[in-house]
Amino acid sequence: MSTCKPLARIHLATRPTSHLQPLIQARHESTTRRHRKLLALPEAPSFTPSSRKPTLIFNPPSAAPSVYHTPLKFLPKDDRRKQLYAAFQTQSTQTSYRKSAPSIAQPGTPLYAPTSAPSPSYPQPAAHLPPRPSAALPAAVRAPYEKKYHLDQNDIKEIQRLRKEDPDHWTRWRLAEKFACSNFFIGLVAKDREKAGRVEREHEAARGRWGTRRREAREDRGRRKALWGRDA
Amino acid sequence: MKRIRISGCASQLLARNTPRRPSCPYLHRAVAPHNHRIQTRLQTTAATPIDEEIDIEIEAGTEDSTPGPVKAPRNFKEKPLPPSPHPQAAQHSVKLAALRSRLSLHSRFPLQTLARTLVHPSADPNPAFNNASLSVLGGNLLSYYTTEWILCNYPRLPMSVVFAAQYAYIGPVALATIASEWGIEAAAVPGSEVDPGLLQFQRLKSGEKLPSLLRQEVPWKWRNTTTHKIVATDEFGSDQAPVSPHALVNTAVPMEEAAQSFVRALIGSLHLHLGSLLVKRFFRDHFLSRQLDLSSLFDFQTPTRDLSRLCAREGFEAPVARLVSETGRKSRHPVFIVGVYSGKDQLGQAAGSSLDEARIRAAAAALKAWYLYRPIEVTLPSSTENQVDTSRWKPNMVDCGEVIV
Repeated sequence: MSTCKPLARIHLATRPTSHLQPLIQARHESTTRRHRKLLALPEAPSFTPSSRKPTLIFNPPSAAPSVYHTPLKFLPKDDRRKQLYAAFQTQSTQTSYRKSAPSIAQPGTPLYAPTSAPSPSYPQPAAHLPPRPSAALPAAVRAPYEKKYHLDQNDIKEIQRLRKEDPDHWTRWRLAEKFACSNFFIGLVAKDREKAGRVEREHEAARGRWGTRRREAREDRGRRKALWGRDA
Repeated sequence: MKRIRISGCASQLLARNTPRRPSCPYLHRAVAPHNHRIQTRLQTTAATPIDEEIDIEIEAGTEDSTPGPVKAPRNFKEKPLPPSPHPQAAQHSVKLAALRSRLSLHSRFPLQTLARTLVHPSADPNPAFNNASLSVLGGNLLSYYTTEWILCNYPRLPMSVVFAAQYAYIGPVALATIASEWGIEAAAVPGSEVDPGLLQFQRLKSGEKLPSLLRQEVPWKWRNTTTHKIVATDEFGSDQAPVSPHALVNTAVPMEEAAQSFVRALIGSLHLHLGSLLVKRFFRDHFLSRQLDLSSLFDFQTPTRDLSRLCAREGFEAPVARLVSETGRKSRHPVFIVGVYSGKDQLGQAAGSSLDEARIRAAAAALKAWYLYRPIEVTLPSSTENQVDTSRWKPNMVDCGEVIV
């Protein structure tokens, strides 16, 4: 419908390399007017207000949420923002149900995905957008588990006996597997200092054989890791 | 249109006019306790051009002083020069007047006091002429205003972050920076002939060690716990033993020490001359206006554990890390975006190049979001000073404290 020509014309309208082929007449964008018409792209839908009246355009770049915006759950009971957030959430939920696709995911935008119809087998829409409020939460990074507190005094005695009997065979991991608890718990109830020291000496000796590159890489990794809790 | 006063533009080039009556009502008060000093100065300043002023001062102060020493013959050898400039010289210092107008101080604030705030006790041991007492007062006021602002605006901050924020706002380094931003320059050597608009202190020579007073550490017991730090040490919870400004007499100090004592003394003298209301405004304009990113002061060792403790304490569901988005999992530079959820609510979100990194960063972000909560309405306790009407006062939020694992 639009009069502007596809941008691809710029690349296509080149002279054929071989002069044996017939000369194809090509119209180049040699004038200002043609260039202006060529580059007159339709505006992104999120920048195009629906009404003629002046409105606010809210189209922030993607970024991590600011830590200065306290989440709804962290607000105290008597804070006025609690009602404001709740009202906004209701409104945005209603809006997202009313509209088929939000304005930033209209056809022609990079966020648009043609198969955005949610199906029962695939609950999340295929559009590259954050899920709707009612959609299922994203998958957990690690499988959530519940603490069972199922071991009693006899089990703990058994753990300690096995660990003392053969600390090289009954390692923390093997015991944790056998008693269905965490290896941290095994370390709590049956700590073998003698073996821990021996293993630590072995590791120390192995670290002593490292070259400069490996040692520095490990040290850098430790330094980077220390920053995780600092500059989040 | 306002006419430019030509005579005022190049007044330093003209012959000095006769001293006028002091416009400042505090001038007499400032002069009165100085009588003994003026007399000693009279005997020493033979050739200095401030003779006229001294005569006038003596006329002003003759009621309560014995005129005997004034009449004594001048002797150059017996009485040494005073260690710091005469207060009267402040009236003619261009630097001081410029500093006063640069800081937008009221003309009621006397230049003599401004000059006194620039004299560190290392330059002048006389407590009536150095800024030691003023800087004690100003230091207390500064820490009071900063503490109440931080505690009322960010009621959930951990104590170590409060200490760090205090240090960032009114620590020695910050005060020295503020002084240099105000255009304070230091005199090479203090003395009576120096322009009173220069910061006067006895300089520590380059390469010399700090004086032992400034190197003292507090007892180990004081550093033991946070409670000890709150109760025993200074407002920064530092390991340095607090030094009384009066103790630094005749000690060579670094410029930072002298500059911070000037800023503190200025606050103290503003409080005495202009009242607490103006000091609070001055504090807001010059100290609180400085940008400080509080979120960069945190350092979590075990953010995930802290967050789950916090959620258990506050009765929220246990936090679960969920993978919001990812790209390039098998590539050299993957990016994972992980959000921490408690129930259906997202508490924090962060990106990382491994799942563990993103998870831990997200937990740290959630903890920061908890600690950096800021109430909407805050009434500072100092805002109700000298007010009969207490209806404006609304109690501030007091949090139960940081998470202890």
